[in-house]
Amino acid sequence: MEHLQFLIILFFAPLVQGLIKKFKAHMQGRRGPSIFQTYFDLLRLFKKEMVISETASWIFRAAPYIVFSSVLCAAMIVPVISVNSEGWIMSDVIALIYILALGRFFMALAGLDTGTAFGGEGSSREMTVAIMVEPMIMLSIFTASIAAGSTNLSRIAETHAIVYSPSHIMALSAFIVAIIAETGRIPVDNPDTHLELTMIHEGMLLEYSGRYLAFMEWAHYIKQMLLFTVAIDIFFPYGIAKIGTFEDVAISAAIYAGKILFLSALMAVIESSRAKLRFFQLSSLLGGAFVLSVLAFLLYIMMGR
Amino acid sequence: MNDQNYRVLSSETRLNEEYIEVAKEDFRTACVSVLKRHDAFLRLMFCTDERAYTGCFRIYAVFSDSRINRFIVINSAVKDNLAYPSITPDIPAAHWYEREIKDMFGLVPEGHPSPQRLVFHESFPEGSFPLRKDWSISEDDLKQWSEGMVVKEPYKFMRVEGEGIFEIPVGPVHAGIIEPGHFRFSAIGETIFYLDSRFFYTHKGIEKQFEKLSFGTGVYLSERVSGTSSFSHSSAYCMAFERMCGIELPDRAAAIRTLVTEMERLYNHIGDIGNMCAGSGLTLGYAKGALIKERLMQLNERVTGSRYLRGVNTLGGVESDILQKSDDIRSTLAHVVKDYRDFMDLILHSLSHIERMETTGYVAKDIAAALGITGLAARASGIDDDMRKCHPHLLYETLGFESNVLTKGDDYARMLARAADADRSILMINELLDMHFSKDLIAGSYSVPSMQYALGYSESPRGSLFYWVKSDHEGSVFRVKLRSPSYCNWSAMPFAVNGDIVPDFPLTNKSFNLSYSGCDM
Repeated sequence: MEHLQFLIILFFAPLVQGLIKKFKAHMQGRRGPSIFQTYFDLLRLFKKEMVISETASWIFRAAPYIVFSSVLCAAMIVPVISVNSEGWIMSDVIALIYILALGRFFMALAGLDTGTAFGGEGSSREMTVAIMVEPMIMLSIFTASIAAGSTNLSRIAETHAIVYSPSHIMALSAFIVAIIAETGRIPVDNPDTHLELTMIHEGMLLEYSGRYLAFMEWAHYIKQMLLFTVAIDIFFPYGIAKIGTFEDVAISAAIYAGKILFLSALMAVIESSRAKLRFFQLSSLLGGAFVLSVLAFLLYIMMGR
Repeated sequence: MNDQNYRVLSSETRLNEEYIEVAKEDFRTACVSVLKRHDAFLRLMFCTDERAYTGCFRIYAVFSDSRINRFIVINSAVKDNLAYPSITPDIPAAHWYEREIKDMFGLVPEGHPSPQRLVFHESFPEGSFPLRKDWSISEDDLKQWSEGMVVKEPYKFMRVEGEGIFEIPVGPVHAGIIEPGHFRFSAIGETIFYLDSRFFYTHKGIEKQFEKLSFGTGVYLSERVSGTSSFSHSSAYCMAFERMCGIELPDRAAAIRTLVTEMERLYNHIGDIGNMCAGSGLTLGYAKGALIKERLMQLNERVTGSRYLRGVNTLGGVESDILQKSDDIRSTLAHVVKDYRDFMDLILHSLSHIERMETTGYVAKDIAAALGITGLAARASGIDDDMRKCHPHLLYETLGFESNVLTKGDDYARMLARAADADRSILMINELLDMHFSKDLIAGSYSVPSMQYALGYSESPRGSLFYWVKSDHEGSVFRVKLRSPSYCNWSAMPFAVNGDIVPDFPLTNKSFNLSYSGCDM
């Protein structure tokens, strides 16, 4: 049963996106769309006709499926509400990072594929950001891995590896910045903008429509919830079920929902409270966060906690 | 006047307009010497087709400076070979006007560095000049026009070549719901090396349309040139007509015009400051700005019946007595001002937002002056250009108006210039509401003189706005020339974004907030 946990991420990911949008709308004094609007949007896109550029190659057509299946694969190896490190040897953090990188690689290729200026811009910016974000994610997860003595996510969640230590706070801060960058949120990217020239994530998707766009969007929502879940597993796994009784799992699910709500609200607050950074200044934010993750790592090695 | 190197054929002074006629050969010398001697700006340049009366075209160049309330209008007749010496090499601000005159009248500016088509794109038939009085379009031409591409030579964009330089074409259809305009960036990575732009995708032929309407109906057309400055447009149009006929505006009408002009400025500026937040992604600021703007527009509707302040102006005065609703204006304004102060507080404490604006979109003072940039974009770059101060009209002199000049020339300076302008508007509105005026709304009877002309102007939220009207022998419209601030200020954009990065362009664009509609006239 625990291998079906990814279904939670698959089907609730659009809801998390809807929630963040709702929180943001409230912070701006607007009523905002229903939290289920993202589902309706996906449904609408699935039904719509696709318009595909004549210059598009197979990469453009394959990318939505590759991107979607890569995030889905990643979701399959992440413990959501129940952990069992013995039975779950697949849940490896290094694998996780590279499965996500595969999706990113194809998304960037697809952005370049049609030869439009905005797609190329989006891809080049995405890769620039990725160079800074990937090592950050790795280092903050490795800090936990060393503590747990394993790169297995279930194992890390089980042992509460780096909880209650100075490394914990530093690695967590770095990881939050990584989530913001990975999910394309302010101050790194602006998910709600119509300004083509400023886009990163949206820029790569500009040429997509209909079903392909739906897959891309859905994949993005899944990636977002997945990163939230990884953050929960590593940095505050309290309450995650260890033995598979129904009661335990139900409590664990409720606690998990609460944590996701908290993270969504946090994203909305960060996004509403400041402007986007100038693109070339991203390096100071991301570089700062990288230094934090390095410090967390070193501190753990030197102090042992 | 002894050292002048051109011969004055005739001169005439009416109100604050001094018309100096020179020979075509002296046109350039005359313009340059006026510009140099008075340290003046080229305000507008236009042409009329007088062939029916005098057998020639006439070109006009209007200059004024910010110290003396006087317009110097150099004009000369163009008769033979339909060419005149271009003034663009000496006065860069003339570059668009001369190309427009070429498109509309077929007069060739000799020596213009880039005499390409401006207003009409490749599809418009060659040899067809719509503002000539005898213009008509044949079935053939119409067919060609609708099929596109008549001119063999496509429009030449400025091209930058070299290793690592690539072009980013943007528009004319944009992602937001805005009007069409094409931008072509030459960039090295993210850094903008050069920006070329093209407009007039929705040219509406408004000047020609004016000639078909009576002066009275022209008011409605002028209100619809550009939605966000409807009132400034109709005010300038009415003012030109009133000056042409020698009508003295009743003080109540002048007060209402001043009041509504400032109401228009206020809702625009607050909305624009909010819009700049959208450019940097500060969503909270954007939402707040939009909310305050909406309150002001609802006030507009309650007071004048139109969210865009249409239907107030009429020739010789105003239609409705808005001062009777001063209680509503006063109380709404009191609420709005409180929200506006909170809003500005939020923005001035959002360091992330200010950091984006500072040093971005820098326009140097000499460039702004050379290009004839107007309005708050000029004031942000250290040029004291405000029609309310340079050429006091309506009640601005009574109100003791003083302009705000900043020097930084970047996006932040333009935002601060807006805020300072809005502050002064609030003060002036309150001051006007406390004053007392006579009862008359419209001036008494008048007649339209024949073959008479005059300038009208106003300071719209974006900058100076000009109308020049001329009547014919029967007292109907002979020619209406209008010049909106966006027409001048679009030229500043390539200079403003040069050296900035591509994702900063929308922010700079919003800091100017120019109108496509106000350009595609």
